Amino acid sequence: MKALKFSKRAQTKLIAVLVVIIVVGVIAALAYWYMAPKPAPPKALIIGTTDKITVLDPAKAYDFYTWEVFNNIGEGLLKYKPGTTELEPGIAESYSISSDGLEYTFKLREGLKFTDGTPLNATAVKWSIDRVMRLKLDPSWLVTAFVDRVEVVDTYTVKFVLKRPISYFPSLVATVPYFPVSPNSYPADKTGEPTVGHYGPYKIKSWTRDVELVLEANPDYYGSKPKTDTVVIKFFKDAASMRLALETGEIDVAWRTLRPIDVIDLKEIGKWNVTEVPGPYIRYLVLRCNQPPFNDVRLRRAIAAAINRTRICEEVYKGTVEPLYSMIPKGMWSHIDAFKDEYGERNLTLAKQLLTEAGYSEENPFEFELWYTPTHYGDLEADLAAILKEELEETGMMKVTLKSAEWATYAAEYIIEGVMPIFLLGWYPDYIDPDDYTTVFLHSEYSPEMGVFYNNSEMDELLEAAQVETNITKRTELYIEVQRLMAEEAPVIPLFQGKLSIATSMDVKGVVLDPVMILRYYLIYKE
Amino acid sequence: MVSLRVYIVRRVLLAIPTILILLTIVFLVMRVAGDPVAAILGAHAPQEEIERIREELGLNKPLYVQYFDYIWQLFHLNLGRSLIWGQRPVLVEILEHFPATLELSIFAFIVSIIIGIFTGAYSAQKYNKPVDHMFRIYGIITYSLFIPWFGLILQLIFGVYLGWLPTGGRIDPLMEPKHITGLYVLDSILTFNIPSLISSIKHLILPSITLGIYLSGIFTRLTRSNMLEVLRKDFITAARARGLPEGTVIYKHALKNAFIPILTMMGLQFALLLAGAVLTETTFSWPGMGTFLTERIFYRDYTTVQGTIVFFAILVVSVSLIVDLLYAYIDPRIRY
Repeated sequence: MKALKFSKRAQTKLIAVLVVIIVVGVIAALAYWYMAPKPAPPKALIIGTTDKITVLDPAKAYDFYTWEVFNNIGEGLLKYKPGTTELEPGIAESYSISSDGLEYTFKLREGLKFTDGTPLNATAVKWSIDRVMRLKLDPSWLVTAFVDRVEVVDTYTVKFVLKRPISYFPSLVATVPYFPVSPNSYPADKTGEPTVGHYGPYKIKSWTRDVELVLEANPDYYGSKPKTDTVVIKFFKDAASMRLALETGEIDVAWRTLRPIDVIDLKEIGKWNVTEVPGPYIRYLVLRCNQPPFNDVRLRRAIAAAINRTRICEEVYKGTVEPLYSMIPKGMWSHIDAFKDEYGERNLTLAKQLLTEAGYSEENPFEFELWYTPTHYGDLEADLAAILKEELEETGMMKVTLKSAEWATYAAEYIIEGVMPIFLLGWYPDYIDPDDYTTVFLHSEYSPEMGVFYNNSEMDELLEAAQVETNITKRTELYIEVQRLMAEEAPVIPLFQGKLSIATSMDVKGVVLDPVMILRYYLIYKE
Repeated sequence: MVSLRVYIVRRVLLAIPTILILLTIVFLVMRVAGDPVAAILGAHAPQEEIERIREELGLNKPLYVQYFDYIWQLFHLNLGRSLIWGQRPVLVEILEHFPATLELSIFAFIVSIIIGIFTGAYSAQKYNKPVDHMFRIYGIITYSLFIPWFGLILQLIFGVYLGWLPTGGRIDPLMEPKHITGLYVLDSILTFNIPSLISSIKHLILPSITLGIYLSGIFTRLTRSNMLEVLRKDFITAARARGLPEGTVIYKHALKNAFIPILTMMGLQFALLLAGAVLTETTFSWPGMGTFLTERIFYRDYTTVQGTIVFFAILVVSVSLIVDLLYAYIDPRIRY
C-alpha cells in the first residue's frame, strides 16, 4: 500500500489548521465553563490585613494581631463582652476569690474538648499555664509576675495561687497566655504551631503563613454559632495592596492597618463603610534615664515642652490620630491630661529655659540621636521622626540626628542594651487596665526592659499600691498621682493615641470595634 | 577543538568551585550579619534558652567547624530547620514556595519572549523608521522599569478601574486545586478543575505581564541587533532576489538564524528573572520564593534565609550550566 504523502506546504497548512482547531476548541471550552452556571462558592467572609501571625503559640505570641487570631480560635477562662470592657464567663462558667485576694478558683464548663479531641479540663488548663511559665518567653511575664502556682482542685475546677493580691487579675486571665491549649498538640518544652489543639468559636481549616488563614466554625463550641461559617484572612504586604483588594472586591473587610490617606479617600468615595473609634493604641518617646544625656531631668522636660502634638496628628496622620498627654489613654478611667497640665500644648520658652539651665545655647546646642524603626509602625514612621526633629530644632538649641534600625534589631537588641538615648515606640495593651500603661515603663523593676531605665522609689510605691488596691476610687487617685509624677519627670513622653479604622463593603454587618481592639470574626456576616 | 563529552566534564567540574565560592560567601555574610539568636527569641528570653538554640544551630562552635558542618550538611541536601513555623525542614518549605515562583517565571518568560522577539524582529524589518525608533526606546524604558511602580499602574487600570483582573494573590480563596505539582494552572488542568484554572490564570495575568514586559526589553534589543546583522547576509539577499515575500524572509529565514544568541540570552536572563520575580511577587502578594525570602528576613529566620539563598545560588549556577551545555550542543564552535 502506498503511503499517503503531503507536500511540505500542505503539511504546514495541515498543522496550521490543527493548531487553529485546538486553540478555538480550548477557548470555546473555557468560555463555556466560564459562562455556564456554576455551583455557588461557599459564602466566606474575606478579611484583609497587613499584620502577620508571628507565632501560633500562646506561650510565645506577644503581638496584637496573633492575639486577635487566638481570640477567635481560642478562649480564656474569662472574656470581654463585645463592645465593652466588661468581663464575662468564657471557658470558666464562674469564679471565686479568697478573702485574702491570693486565690482565684475557676469552675470550668463541662464536656468541652479541643479541636484535636483532647478534653478541656482543669488538668489541661494547669498544663497550659505551667508551660507558659516554664518556657519563659516574651509574654510569660503576664503569668510569672503574678501567679505563684496553679492547682487542679477537681476535673473541672482549677485554682490560681497568686504571689500577691492583684486587683485586676480577672483582666489578666482574659489574655492569650492564659488560654488553654491541648497537651496532645503543643510540645511541652518548646514552642509549637499546630493548627489544632485550640478551643474557640472557630477552628483552623488551613494556614499558609503570610498568605492565607482559613477558619471554619467550630461545631463543638459551647456558645452561639459564628454568624459566618467560613472566614478567610488574607495577609497583605502593605496597605496599598490591601486597599486595592478592597476596591476590586477581592476582600470584604480591610482591617489593620489602612494608611490615614486611604481612610480619608475611602470615606470620600463613599462605596464602603468606614468606621473609626478611639483605640487604646498609643505612641510615645522613650528616654534612657540612667545615662547621659537624659539622666538630666531638665533635658527630658525640655523635650516634653518642645513637642507639638497637634501638628504631628494633623500633618503626618491627617487627623486620624489624637494628641495624647498621658500614657494612660483617653477613655480609660483615671486618665488625666498630665503633660498638658505640666507644659501646656507646647511651651518653647520653657524648653529654652530648661536647655539654658542645662548649659546649652544656640551656639552650643544640645546634640543627640533620635531613633525610629521604619519596619514596624507603618509607612509614616520616617515622617513622624522628621517632624519631631523639626519641632525640637525649632528651639534653636537642639541639634537632632535621626537614626533608624529595622525592627528585630531595634526591639530585641538596641532597646535592651540601651543603645538608643531617645527613641519612638508604640504600645498595645496586654490587658485593659491603667497598670498595663504605667508599671512596665515606670517601675524600676520593669522599665529597663522597655529601654527607659527609670528608677524612682516614690513612683514604685505608687504603682505597687495601685496594683493591690481594690477600691476603684482609691486606685484612680493613685494613678492620677502616677501621671502627675510622670509628667514632671518625663521618662516617657506620650505623643498620640491611635484610632481604630476598618473599611468594609456595604453588605458586611456585625463589626464591633471596642477598646479591647480585638475584631471578633464570629460576629461579622454578609447580608 | 575538544569533544562534547570532554567539554561537558570540564564545564561540570568548573561549576563545582563556583558553587563552593557561592556557598562560602553566603556562609560568611550570614555570620557577619550579627548573632541572630537573641533577635529570634525576643527581649525576654532567658540566657539558657539562648545558649540552647546557639548549641542547636552549632553557633557555639569555632567558625571553621561551623563551615565544614554546613558544607557537609549541604552535601546531604540538608538545609537545616526553620527557626519558626514549627521548626520545619527548610528544604520542605522551599519546595512548597518554589512552584509559585516557577509558575510565575514560566508565564513571565513566555510573555517576555513573545513580546521581545516580535518587537525586535519588527523593529529590524522597519530599520530606521519611526516604528524602529519607538521599539528601541521601548527596549530602554522596559529595562529600566521599576517593577512595583509598573505593577501598581497595571493593578489600578485592570484591577480597580476596569475591574477585569485581581490585583494580588495566586488564586481566589477556597479555590486551590489539589496539589500535584504545585503549579496551579497545571494542577487545575490535571484535575479538570476549570474554576480553579480560570481563577489561577486570571491571577497570573498581571504579574506575568509586569515581569514579562520588564524582561522583554533586552530581547527586543538583542533580536533587533541580531536580525539587522542577519538581514545583511548574502542568503537573505538571495532569498529576496528569488522573490520570496518579505514576511517569509524576515520571520522564517532571518529570525531562525538570529535565534541562537537569543537562546543563550534566555539562559542568562534566568538570574534576572528570579530577581524580578522577587519584586513582582511582593507587588502582587504572590506567595513564592521572593515573598517567602523577604518575610523570613523580617522574622530573622536565619536558617531559612541561608537555605533559600543557597537554593537560589545553586539554581542559577545549574541553569547557566545547562544553558552552556545546550549551547555547546547546538553550536559546536564554542567547544574551545
